[in-house]
Amino acid sequence: MAAMADEVETSLLVIVVDLHTRQRYLRDQPSLLMHVLDSVITLANMHLMLKTKNKVAIVGCNASNSEFLFCDADAIQPQPGQSGQSTAVRQSDGQYEIFAHLETTVKQNIKDFMQDEQSTFFEDKDCESLIAGALTLALCYINRINKEKSAGENLNSRLLILTGCAGGASQHMAYMNVFFTAQKQNIVMDVCSLEYELGLLQQGCDITGGLFLKIPQLQGLLQYLLWVFLPEPPIRKKLVLPPPARVDYRAACFCHRTLIDIGFVCSICLSIFCKFSPICTTCNTVFKPPGSLLPKKKKKQIKNVC
Amino acid sequence: MAEAGKVAKQPQSRTFQCKNLHDYLKTLPGSTLDKLYNHPTTCLAVYRELPEIGRHYVIRILFVEQPVPQAVVASWLAQEHSKEHTEVIKVLSELRVWQEAAIPGGLPGWILNPIFKKNCRMALLGGGKANCIHSQLDADSKPRDIPFLDQYATERWECVLHYMVGSQQQEGISADAVRLLLHARLMKRDEDDGSPVITREGFQFLLMDTAQQVWHFILQYLDTVHEHNLDLVECLTFLFQLSFSTLGKDYTTQGMSEAMLKFLQHLREFGLVYQRKRKGGRFYPTRLALNIAAGRTSAPGDMEHLGYIVVETNYRVYAYTDSNLQVALVALFCEMMYRFPNLSVGILTRDSVRQALRSGITAEQMINFLRLHAHPRMIAQAPPVLPPTVVDQIKLWENERDRFNFSEGVLYSQFLSQQDFQVLRDHAQEKGVLIWQNERTRTMVVTKGGHDDVKRFWKRYNRGND
Repeated sequence: MAAMADEVETSLLVIVVDLHTRQRYLRDQPSLLMHVLDSVITLANMHLMLKTKNKVAIVGCNASNSEFLFCDADAIQPQPGQSGQSTAVRQSDGQYEIFAHLETTVKQNIKDFMQDEQSTFFEDKDCESLIAGALTLALCYINRINKEKSAGENLNSRLLILTGCAGGASQHMAYMNVFFTAQKQNIVMDVCSLEYELGLLQQGCDITGGLFLKIPQLQGLLQYLLWVFLPEPPIRKKLVLPPPARVDYRAACFCHRTLIDIGFVCSICLSIFCKFSPICTTCNTVFKPPGSLLPKKKKKQIKNVC
Repeated sequence: MAEAGKVAKQPQSRTFQCKNLHDYLKTLPGSTLDKLYNHPTTCLAVYRELPEIGRHYVIRILFVEQPVPQAVVASWLAQEHSKEHTEVIKVLSELRVWQEAAIPGGLPGWILNPIFKKNCRMALLGGGKANCIHSQLDADSKPRDIPFLDQYATERWECVLHYMVGSQQQEGISADAVRLLLHARLMKRDEDDGSPVITREGFQFLLMDTAQQVWHFILQYLDTVHEHNLDLVECLTFLFQLSFSTLGKDYTTQGMSEAMLKFLQHLREFGLVYQRKRKGGRFYPTRLALNIAAGRTSAPGDMEHLGYIVVETNYRVYAYTDSNLQVALVALFCEMMYRFPNLSVGILTRDSVRQALRSGITAEQMINFLRLHAHPRMIAQAPPVLPPTVVDQIKLWENERDRFNFSEGVLYSQFLSQQDFQVLRDHAQEKGVLIWQNERTRTMVVTKGGHDDVKRFWKRYNRGND
């Protein structure tokens, strides 16, 4: 008898989907949303198909809200007693029950999510998607699953972000917190950008050891997802995948959200500013103006010379 | 010079292999495989058994209609893993998941088996016809919940195991089941009174985890389906359907053929499905039936009760259980000392382990058994789950019995001169076929394979001398 592996490998994939209606591809052609969602659902199902023990969760986010579209609480759980419900989910075609269930659940949840009145309120203003918030939600979820697992079980978790938004600078701090938490928890973060080269998220991928890919065309989204993002990190080492691009590590300043090479850093909270400000806007620390330092030094030097 | 006969015979290794799904499907003819692939569930099961790289290959070409050049497929994997690549290609071809096809231009390419492709996509994306067991069913007036099904399945399965260890606590195992145990050579008829007794394979079987046991059992059952006038493809398809069904959900028996209903009754007997009434028209799959094909890869602790064994560095084994079966299993290789209502204490001794080894159980199996059923407290301290001293000692006790290495050979002796002996010995040594030699008694042993060559050399040498 061959030696049995002691641990059971479970891999958890959490997909964060940007559902902001202000994304350019959606404004141009709203029907593309269905295409993107179908691809995401298929990717999730493929992940479940790879191994019996694999788990998946999907988080949706827009400018005002982030919510689970699918998580383990949604998994098939027939409730005896409520007999009406158990007959409701009879399979009508050849699809595997779990896949069909995921598809219907996600679609239903997205419908509810998009119709939520609160969310449309913010859409009119130029707000960014709360991807960082959704990521935090995902990290908490992973943490919980990690704690609930039985002894001897091994959980590999990773994140995948799908977005067509540009910015992200306004959530700089939140993003950085997410990146370093993920790195500490050994969670790989992948980003699939539908439109822009996202500097900040590229940094995140680099920090956590994930992949960043800006897909050249939206039509082939599913193939890109399956080729690049479906393989698990250990397998990726064996496959030939697109090489990582050079990452722009410049930080965005907290005052104007511009990328800067050299700037001022708050000594208390490490916030970055492109111009000097006497009070740190993040932690309210009061600084002495830098100008006063220079003349003092000069005076001392002169005294020494004399 | 005279040649003696065989020096020793290679002892037959008697550990038995539990085939996995891949090994089993390989033995089936291609036409049967194609018939099996007509059902989405089978495709899923086969897919999950592929090597991990192979699974990604399949996904990559699942939505491609034309053949993909072989050179392109080869470029997917980094150079240093080319060995793995050839391995994967072999598996995929053996299982007829893909076939060779020429691309316009003459290059060799791969294309997925069209039946496999169609049904794999169907499983993933939907479409096609539903399995008959999924058709509408009125709500069960007395629906069963998961704990009930688990308990039922465990009870039924333990009943079979109980019968094997002969603790005869529960009757209620049918003649068919006994016949199957005999067929699987897990039990054999006693020479004296004809009653079934457990064999050494049976002992090894007992120490496997439940999922493996079920799979092994099913394989043996499938061997005998013809005797029951059942169709192999139909049975396998149904098993895979079961393995991808949902626990705690009821399915209908309407539309199932007479033969399949009979098959269902057999499964019911081993606890793979639950039926309240034979003619009730509905059944519930149990945990035993789920992921049946996964066998080795399924999680421990899923089906088993929580682990109950604590092993200490002083070789004491504590089994927190009141089940006779579990105590009997531990007693296979432990000397039992005390028995309390919920706890039995045993000790691993050289004698007890050697006795187990004599009955055909390997050290690896004992260690795996202890590890598999380790108490949660032991797992919490892991790694290592078991005290390394105990594990090593069990292995040493096994090695102790392997002091002899048997190799087949031919003895050359009674050489007339020392020189003759030396010439022949040096020749054999050069060829690397010499096993043993003694210069004083002028004897040497040559491997069986090298015998012909050495003999020919000796004849030539003799002729030259004459």
